[in-house]
Amino acid sequence: MIKISAQLILMLFTFFSFTQTAIADIPEIETIARIKNFGVSSDTTAVKVERGPYLQIATPTSVVVKWRTNVPTESVVNYGLELGLLSDKESNFNEMTEHEVSLTGLKPNTKYYFNIGNEAGVLSESSTGDMYVITAPKVGTKQFVRAWILGDAGTANNNQRNVRDAYYKYVDTESANTGKTDMMLFLGDNAYRTGTDVEYQNAFFDIYHNMLKKSVAWSCLGNHDGYSADSATQSGPYYDIFSFPTGGQAGGTPSGTEAYYSFDYANIHFIILDSHHSNREVGGAMYNWAQTDIQNTTQDWIVTLFHHPVYTKGSHDSDTEDRLIEMRENFMPMMENNGVDLILNGHSHSYERSYFLNGHYGFSNTFNPNEIKNGGHTVGISGKGDGKTDGDGIYQKTNEATAGAVYITTGSAGKTSGGDLNHKAMSVSLNELGSCVMEVEDDGQGGQNLTVKFIRENDEVDDYFTINKKGISQKVESIKKAEKEITVKKNAIALFDADKDVVYIKVNPGERLKKVKIYNNLGKRVIKSKKSNIDVSGLQKGMYVVEVKTDKSTYTETIIIE
Amino acid sequence: MLVKLQFLNFFNFFCNRKLLVAFCLIVTIQMFGHGDLSERILLKTIEIIEDPENYKLYYERGFLYQQHIDYNEALEDYIKSESLGNTDKVLHYRMAEVNYLTNAYSNALVNIGAYLKVDSIDVKAKKLEAQILFKLNEYEKSLKSYQYVLQNTIDLRPEDIIEYTHIILSENNKNYNSAIVAIEFGLQKLGSNTISLQLKKLEYLKESEQVEKALQQFNYFIIQFKRKEFWFYKKAKYLIEINRKKEARITLKFATRSIEELDTRFKNMESIKKLKEQIKNLENKTNQ
Repeated sequence: MIKISAQLILMLFTFFSFTQTAIADIPEIETIARIKNFGVSSDTTAVKVERGPYLQIATPTSVVVKWRTNVPTESVVNYGLELGLLSDKESNFNEMTEHEVSLTGLKPNTKYYFNIGNEAGVLSESSTGDMYVITAPKVGTKQFVRAWILGDAGTANNNQRNVRDAYYKYVDTESANTGKTDMMLFLGDNAYRTGTDVEYQNAFFDIYHNMLKKSVAWSCLGNHDGYSADSATQSGPYYDIFSFPTGGQAGGTPSGTEAYYSFDYANIHFIILDSHHSNREVGGAMYNWAQTDIQNTTQDWIVTLFHHPVYTKGSHDSDTEDRLIEMRENFMPMMENNGVDLILNGHSHSYERSYFLNGHYGFSNTFNPNEIKNGGHTVGISGKGDGKTDGDGIYQKTNEATAGAVYITTGSAGKTSGGDLNHKAMSVSLNELGSCVMEVEDDGQGGQNLTVKFIRENDEVDDYFTINKKGISQKVESIKKAEKEITVKKNAIALFDADKDVVYIKVNPGERLKKVKIYNNLGKRVIKSKKSNIDVSGLQKGMYVVEVKTDKSTYTETIIIE
Repeated sequence: MLVKLQFLNFFNFFCNRKLLVAFCLIVTIQMFGHGDLSERILLKTIEIIEDPENYKLYYERGFLYQQHIDYNEALEDYIKSESLGNTDKVLHYRMAEVNYLTNAYSNALVNIGAYLKVDSIDVKAKKLEAQILFKLNEYEKSLKSYQYVLQNTIDLRPEDIIEYTHIILSENNKNYNSAIVAIEFGLQKLGSNTISLQLKKLEYLKESEQVEKALQQFNYFIIQFKRKEFWFYKKAKYLIEINRKKEARITLKFATRSIEELDTRFKNMESIKKLKEQIKNLENKTNQ
């Protein structure tokens, strides 16, 4: 009796839990083929690609290509600018099953076709040209960028496939930049339930195979990935599968760990945090790194991603759960003060998108959309609106008004799990399947628009918003030069003549020059003189402080030797 | 007739107390529960109801409880699993973890000792042992265990190095030189520009009053970073702390000029506005 009843409960429970996955979870055809092949193959030593290829750590001049074979073999990547002419080759003669090949010395913003194989020949290629990498643009380049954002995708069922297909359809039918996906941003929980290697195969590689071979995948750690991965030893499937820049090689500050890292793409700086395993305290290693990193970027846009949402009332609650509260209270004040524009989270299996926020770190019920004074909670006239061109107006940032960020909890790329969905900081809350696309492009007026769309599994775009930044395409160098000239005229005590490599000292009438000292930016005195014309041809380019002593006073002035 | 039988089965089902509780749990979780772990704990509970002598199930539920931060329930399940015959070393590791997390350090040490008896080279277990010993103020033993971890972990993290230096300084709060040697070891392993380690090095140089080396360390940051305004300010602040006001004044000039050189939007960020105020305050101090 117990047995039957328990089964009944189990069935009932299963019904409650998985109603949204009513469609049978059918393995992809390629997976079936592979499994069957293993079963019937008479040639057990035939080398086959089991996973990949997939692309990692793309920079303007390099990319990492990874794949897995069924038996150990050498690693070869043939690549080139033309599909029919892959004349360059990178090899590793050590036999292995987990292949990782770095292509270096590439040109920025350039499409390279490639195939993979071993010394005996090609193991995987695309005759239609769908296996390629486009290297990242040079840092700071202002151009169209598209990122596909997937949160909590890894169910390996038809929900996930429908969300994927809706994006594929979107990107293939967009009139501009058709088919272009510069990167995939995974927000964690990429493979349910525990992020094992097999689960990753089913929910990640088999599902996104077509995109992974032509678009670079980045990710943060989700709690489900964290069940099998261990950040303390950076081991387990998540860390084995992904390669992330620990030494700042893709831009940003070296973190020394793959748990959190940063990279640049075009004029966007991405900061990836680990909200699951790593210490989230102010003053902890991750915080110190993030602060140093964000305060060192000169990029136009700053996007951050981590798994646990700072605002949510979905299947998780940001008012009650420690990790969520800590990320909000500890990290967000620092990141907002340093100009973060967009925060991407998952964990709750829904889509929740905020107003244009600044300075709200409390619970949902403390949020006041009408508070637009300095420090919160919404920014600007349009900040408490929907951020839509055809609605309340887009969110606005200028060189003068730099505050404001949109927070998105988008964890429904594989399933929905409901919840109250009534967080007050959210402009939109939907219990719907979908993924997001972020597009950055020129606004035609010297600025740029960052637009995010939520693409449902049924191909509908259920939400979108735009953040506009004015003036970022202006020639900053020319503005600086003009400002400098004015500064120099106003401060005539020390004047650098670049043509003659001389610093002229001009003291006030009635004062007599006694001594001049010049210090480099490390505070070291590099020149001592009593002359009013000082030869600085021996000094390196850089910033200097000139200290001028007269019989009446001491003056200091900074100069830049260029 | 068939309808009546089905009704009776349904009635019997609800008369079973255990199952009724489980049913209520399901409904509760659906109404209030957040997260997949709660669901998995419930499923495991149902499996245990089916097979109450299976030690594997108690271990598995215990681990789910542990992930759910229900440490007492986790430990109860682990103990039950052990009593039913589970001798797997991993059980001891998990028990050690839970005892450590609940501040039961002596018990944790016993558990991790049992694990290490079976597997003495596991770096993760050695690390936990070091952490437990640290909490028990057994610093020398803790350092010994941690040294093994540092020497044998393939992918060290900056956090490991920092934790190790904390143990060094707990053992001897003046032993900054050894702590700095450990930091250098970390920089060698993880990359010379690993920021959290370079920051920790600066902190230790300052705390140990190695003034010139600390200033060199500030210079490292000034050279290393594109944006230098924060580093000039921090260096100037330190110079004032050690009463070198003239150098501080010059360094503050660099900080101010660095801000002037920033693009307008950075100048208007809250962090830079605050920095400007801090520079002004320091300038006032240098003039006193």
